Amino acid sequence: MPSTASKPTANKDDVWIPSVCGMCYNQCGILAHRVDGTLVKIEGNPASPYGNGRLCARGLAGIQVLYDPHRVNYPLKRTNPNKGIGEDPRWQRIGWDEAMDIVVEKLAAVRDDDPDKLFMTGTVLSLAPLNHTLGTFMPAFGSSNILISDGHQCGNAEHILARTLHASVTTNPDVDYTNYLLLFGCQPGLGTYYAMTTMAQKIADARARGMKLVVVDPYLSTAAEKADEWVPIKPGSDGALACAMLNLLLNEYDIYDRGYLEHHTDAPYLVGTDGYYHRDTDTGKPMVWDLAAETARIFDDEDLVRPAIVGSFKLEAETFKPAFQMLKERVTKWTPELASEITTIPIDTIRRLAREFGEAAQVGSTIMIDGVELPFRPAATLYFKGAHGHDNAWPTSLAIELLCEVVGASNVPGGLLGTNPVAFGHPDTKLPRWQPKASKDGLIEAGTLGKNEPMGPSSNWPPEPTGADTASLIDLIGWPITTCTAPATLNDPENFPSITRPAVLLNYGSNLLMSAAQPEASFEAFKDAFVINVNIYSDETAEALADIVLPDTCYLERLDPVPNWLRHHHPVGLGDWGYQIRQPIVEPMYERRHFSEVMLEVSRRLGITETLNLATNLMYGLTAPQSLAADEDYTLEEIGDRIYQNWFGPEHGLDWFRKHGVLTWPKQVEEVYWKPFSVGRAQIYNEWVVRSGEKIKQIAEERSLPGIKTDGFVPLPDWWPCRAFDQRPGYDMQAIYYRVPWHSFSQTYSTPWLDEISQGEQYSYFICINTQTAATKGLNDNDLVRIVSADGGNVEGRLRLTQGVHPGVLAIANNGGHWAHGLPFAKGKGVFFNQLLPMDLEHMDLVSLTMDCDARVRIEKVGG
Amino acid sequence: MRLGMVIDLKRCIGCYGCQIACKAENGTRPGTTYARVLKREFGTYPNVKKQSLPLLCMHCGDAPCIEVCPTGASQKRSDGIVFIDADMCVGCRACMMACPYAARYFQDEERNYFGVGMAPTAYEVSRYQDHQSGVVEKCDFCRHRLDQDKEPACVANCMCKARIFGNLDDPESEVSRLIKEESGFQLNAEWGTDPSVYYLPAER
Repeated sequence: MPSTASKPTANKDDVWIPSVCGMCYNQCGILAHRVDGTLVKIEGNPASPYGNGRLCARGLAGIQVLYDPHRVNYPLKRTNPNKGIGEDPRWQRIGWDEAMDIVVEKLAAVRDDDPDKLFMTGTVLSLAPLNHTLGTFMPAFGSSNILISDGHQCGNAEHILARTLHASVTTNPDVDYTNYLLLFGCQPGLGTYYAMTTMAQKIADARARGMKLVVVDPYLSTAAEKADEWVPIKPGSDGALACAMLNLLLNEYDIYDRGYLEHHTDAPYLVGTDGYYHRDTDTGKPMVWDLAAETARIFDDEDLVRPAIVGSFKLEAETFKPAFQMLKERVTKWTPELASEITTIPIDTIRRLAREFGEAAQVGSTIMIDGVELPFRPAATLYFKGAHGHDNAWPTSLAIELLCEVVGASNVPGGLLGTNPVAFGHPDTKLPRWQPKASKDGLIEAGTLGKNEPMGPSSNWPPEPTGADTASLIDLIGWPITTCTAPATLNDPENFPSITRPAVLLNYGSNLLMSAAQPEASFEAFKDAFVINVNIYSDETAEALADIVLPDTCYLERLDPVPNWLRHHHPVGLGDWGYQIRQPIVEPMYERRHFSEVMLEVSRRLGITETLNLATNLMYGLTAPQSLAADEDYTLEEIGDRIYQNWFGPEHGLDWFRKHGVLTWPKQVEEVYWKPFSVGRAQIYNEWVVRSGEKIKQIAEERSLPGIKTDGFVPLPDWWPCRAFDQRPGYDMQAIYYRVPWHSFSQTYSTPWLDEISQGEQYSYFICINTQTAATKGLNDNDLVRIVSADGGNVEGRLRLTQGVHPGVLAIANNGGHWAHGLPFAKGKGVFFNQLLPMDLEHMDLVSLTMDCDARVRIEKVGG
Repeated sequence: MRLGMVIDLKRCIGCYGCQIACKAENGTRPGTTYARVLKREFGTYPNVKKQSLPLLCMHCGDAPCIEVCPTGASQKRSDGIVFIDADMCVGCRACMMACPYAARYFQDEERNYFGVGMAPTAYEVSRYQDHQSGVVEKCDFCRHRLDQDKEPACVANCMCKARIFGNLDDPESEVSRLIKEESGFQLNAEWGTDPSVYYLPAER
């Protein structure tokens, strides 16, 4: 099979075209086979490090998105004046000219009034056009009101810690070397998660060579199925387990990496009783205690001999403790006995897990890789939505992350790796390039490519809380990369009277009504706005809210010059860097148009091309001669060509990428295992959270915002129950959701091959309940049941009895249960979990703006 | 030469990639899954295991489907691949009754994937040309790919590299080595059909 695009033979169109998948957020490399104008097969592209030629079920099934007869093919205008969930919008087909006139008129009016009254949301499955528009059009237009409906999808707390500990946006374990992998509510390379197709190969190799896999999860997930040990846990209690493990490691087993903590974290920084670092009065820099000189010194003082990380020191009558000592003391209350009560995990298991993890880390050991001697810490944790999808997300995530930090298993071989925080660039051009550095406080500052990288790590950390005038609260809590807070604040005018309200919502394919929480909340928040929906389907959100629908291309019909996120789409570990192109396999069918091209035309007609070009230069780091001139119009092809040439030289322009698909070069050891070569320190003690919390508290008091509570702004790991954790009268269970490897959120339920999997598999379209629990409730397999949420709505579904779920838990896969007229194939398949979740700040962790993604519920039988 | 496959149940994560890789390669109609996956639970909470079992035609050494075929449509190549000559198949389905592994699919009607009343998509129009109605179909180890020196689609695509394809008669081949060293076994060997598909235990 050719790995490059081949020319049509004789009179027959028969080509393999390299491009990029779009069936989940990972965007792997594909080869698409077109015969006589019809796409007949998709395979993985062996030349792409995003999958190495192997795809998941979704990626193979993308053909059915291209040819789905239920796609939106023409611009549509709502003729039913009533908006509402379940309303028939009575779409009227209109021409593109009329559609563009309407869109431009609405946007021009809102821009004249107040640009911030334009809100934008979008789906990460159509990542490149979303990213491009967020990074170019929105700043050019002048609006910062962006919401990514992250209810179940995004990392939030994980993204924050990936920034402060790993100089990146996400993490993945270094399974090329890990011997012990402890997963909390996630499935890297085993079900979902970043770089899934490549991680699947790496984890299979690791397990084959004997890596021990332990999976902590209430549900016997795909990952738990493959685990050497499945540890069922009560949902929302992962932080209690991690705190107890920290306590055992630090205060009983005495397992920690002193050298790493001293040199690569803030462990020696002295903290006062006020919760702040003790700072030098002249320089403002944090101080440490020098054990040799028995005096306090600035952390980077050249005369510093050995900083203390434990103990307590008196300075001018005040007592200061090193950050590590603060951590040790903080976790002492987390005995295995206490954690066992909370998590339902046996005490002996907790003790054993802590010991196994600590010993597996091999503190003190080194390894030679490519001639470089590196610390070797072959133990890693990883966590995602199962663990941090709760309103205790911040302290929980911090506790799990610090398990790796205390044993030094962070950004060294075998440990937890930030997703590619160091890039030296292409060998010829040294681009794209980014590298972390140290802040004035000596802490990690993430490196970025351009000055405006959407959903990249902030290089100005942390954003200062300045007010509470944005619906997403980004002026108050500006560090989470994604947030769906807007419906909560917009629906609470009493508490948030001064926030800017949306006049226009530009929705790039996000099914906000299904992806945030209860659909009623998202509907209520945007029902008075003019809603422009750019979409491949007439989905629930379009039918309830949209005034106009523009038919989008799917990923197989369009050009996207930078289809991947720069950092976390790349697999971690050694291997190749790879830069790809997404290109049309077939021309857009019917009247579908590429969103990015539509927005170029919209920008021209709004007269904002100059700022758009400037924003484009900033986003992609374009420099002369490739930077865009202020006063010229460019096509998407021209912009793509300039990005490629800027990054990879004149010989690697758009045409080269069209032909070859992917440009690769090997990663260097110092890029992958960067920590020993870095000067920025990871933050064990999060002084920034204390400082930000106090500032937020002050703003909330000044503005009388009782809904903004700052109790959760703690600098160190802790645990408290999430809202769904404790029983309320009559509500005796917790409902959780889990992911299967063959569906992406709610968006793939229209794909027949994937439906065929779920129809043949016995769990994913059902509500899973523990067999013994069902017996005590008199419930049987296949019963029609209703789940009633204490704080949200109700859903119905069929029951599946299984031994593979915690006795107090109901488990539901992804988000099914579509009801849109425009999705007849998907309609009614699976169960709509999000209906159970309320959308309000009470059910959110305000440090990370994470929703509580489990629900306190009761179950009742509806029928047999 | 006897071609065969090893499926490593330790590496397999039950992602159903093989089922769809097969559909994508062979362009089969709804309900026809030459490659498929079963999931089963063992034990009682909390000591419970779930196991995924990928299935396909076992290309039996002693294939009962060939014995019962009245027209000679079901045949075996010299390399051990069991296949159906669709032009010779009369759709009597005796082979489906005979096959203990339920690996055969009768093409009873021209169904399309987007449901009753929906026209076939351009993709389906193109791909269903290769399939006849009223006949039985099944996995043939992707004969057409082997002719081009490619591995079967489910092998080439498997994300976990859980499938290995090769010559069972060659003691030096990877499949032979794995079967020998990693306790490879045939599924329900007691049925006596001598499958050419071997499994490696999930726990080892």
